[in-house]
Amino acid sequence: MAHDTRAKTLPADLGAPDFVNGWKSRSLLVGVVFSVIAAGLAFADGSIEHVLRAWVLGLMLTFGFSVGGLALLMVQYCSGGKWGLLLRRPLEAMSRTLPVVFVYWVVVALEMKRLYLWAQVSDVAAALKSGFINEVQAHCIEFKRPMLNPGAFVGVSLLCFAIWAYYSWRLTSLGLKRDSDSESNTPYWIKKLENISGPGIVVYSLTMTAAAIYWVMSLDPTWYSSVYGLLFLVGQGYSVLALGIIVSVSLSKAEPFKTVLRQVEQHDLGKLTFAFVMLNIYLAFAQFLIIWSGNSPEEIPWYLDRIRGHWGVIITLDFIFHWLIPFSLLLSRDIKRNKKRLVRVCQWIVFAKAFDLFWLIEPNFKDAARNLHFSWGILEYAAVPVAMTAFWIAFFCTRLQSRPLVQTNDPHVAEILEPEHVHA
Amino acid sequence: MPPREGTYGLLAEFETPGDLIRAARQARQDGWRRLDCYTPYPVEEAAEAIGFHRNKVPLVTLVGGLMGLAAMFSLETWISVLAFPLNIGGRPTYSWPAFIVPAYEWTILWAGLSAAFGMLALNGLPALYHPLFNAPNFRDGATSDKFFLCLEALDPKFDRVEAKAYLESFQPVSVVEVEY
Repeated sequence: MAHDTRAKTLPADLGAPDFVNGWKSRSLLVGVVFSVIAAGLAFADGSIEHVLRAWVLGLMLTFGFSVGGLALLMVQYCSGGKWGLLLRRPLEAMSRTLPVVFVYWVVVALEMKRLYLWAQVSDVAAALKSGFINEVQAHCIEFKRPMLNPGAFVGVSLLCFAIWAYYSWRLTSLGLKRDSDSESNTPYWIKKLENISGPGIVVYSLTMTAAAIYWVMSLDPTWYSSVYGLLFLVGQGYSVLALGIIVSVSLSKAEPFKTVLRQVEQHDLGKLTFAFVMLNIYLAFAQFLIIWSGNSPEEIPWYLDRIRGHWGVIITLDFIFHWLIPFSLLLSRDIKRNKKRLVRVCQWIVFAKAFDLFWLIEPNFKDAARNLHFSWGILEYAAVPVAMTAFWIAFFCTRLQSRPLVQTNDPHVAEILEPEHVHA
Repeated sequence: MPPREGTYGLLAEFETPGDLIRAARQARQDGWRRLDCYTPYPVEEAAEAIGFHRNKVPLVTLVGGLMGLAAMFSLETWISVLAFPLNIGGRPTYSWPAFIVPAYEWTILWAGLSAAFGMLALNGLPALYHPLFNAPNFRDGATSDKFFLCLEALDPKFDRVEAKAYLESFQPVSVVEVEY
């Protein structure tokens, strides 16, 4: 019997479907509503202190989507695989949202003095004398001054943004060029993108670590952890994959993703997310176990700030939200192969990431350390990041609409159009 | 038990997994229930085509993993708290963070072993004899590049002549009768 491939054909129009406009206007609406709520909460609280803290959370979340998207794109160019064909254009769109993240960062840079103890204290001796900081803080601020000072904060961040922007621009413009080129040149493009991405991943790990240290870890100038950058790196993989799945499954209600998204690749993406769920808890627990075993007074206060005074409830919930629930659900093959359920799990993962960031950020501040208590301000964590993410999503949708959703000059295109069992 | 005799079933050989799956789907749809696919590598659609949805390997793996977890965690707790309590840096004897790593390793070890041995046991392996190996084309090709569909004689619809004609309608490479 003749070999019957029954391959599908790629639709002529590869542009984003019309309902992306709906996503855009809905997220703009959510952004506006939550901005109003955030403003109301700030008014009720009588200060913008918590707005800024929650702003850092929103910055880290959208930064994770944007630069994490760039990183996953580079990983995909190096690793290959059919799942990448689904994600490349959404990932490109994520990496091209960097301007929004930059604007978010500018606010942090401008309000540095309200957030970072090391920026606030210029005269360490006087601050120590007045009891504003303790001896450990005084020592650390003094000792880390060459690194933790406003000039270095701005300089390093700007350098990082420049590097990310360069990689994002280079990869996304070459991606377009590749599509307009003839098929005979495909091997050249595969090699070229691989050669840019390989070193790019290394550069990304370094710059991302620098950003995580400056923007979040330095909120507490006394503490350090060598796995901190890696924790954020894995966290970005975790949330970017979740967002990527949400986007590609939601797009599959219409062409072109209706044709392109097969169950096999969806299952693969679910498995990859599962791996990141595991790696995430592995690193987070490893850091805890090492510090717990060492039990040294320089290191444990950071954890005590985050366990005592009712924070134990939050860290327990964090463990359940961040690991136990996604882990248990993603174990199931049926959930990974079911579009609706997989999307639900991925939405949960994004929420869990934000919850984890809350646990990381809030206890850095004197009034909250070892003292989880209610104030109108703390509710900002449920308002500001939602508004920031919503605006980010609106921009992301614009980026998504500006290009065809599928890269066509790729040997995997033919494979992904074939019925699933041919390669099973 | 006396040795079984007679026809085990009819074996059709296909060149591609696609042909096999189409034939298997049709046969299932036409009411065949005692049938099986044989492929040189896992073809999930072949299992689906003959109406095979679930197996118990995931359950065996889960139970094995949980048993490993419980066993190691209890062992560590028993040693540290009851059998040989030691003061290590002033920590409580029940120091659960230190117990996690071995318990985790045992979870993986037991889940892995349960998956492997559970799969073999549920497949009825090791089996010393299977009638299909009486067919020379099955012996030579089943593990390299041939795809087989077998209609078993136990099926109430089975009739040697009609079943042979039925299988031939799928235009396979060959249809052979397999003896016990």
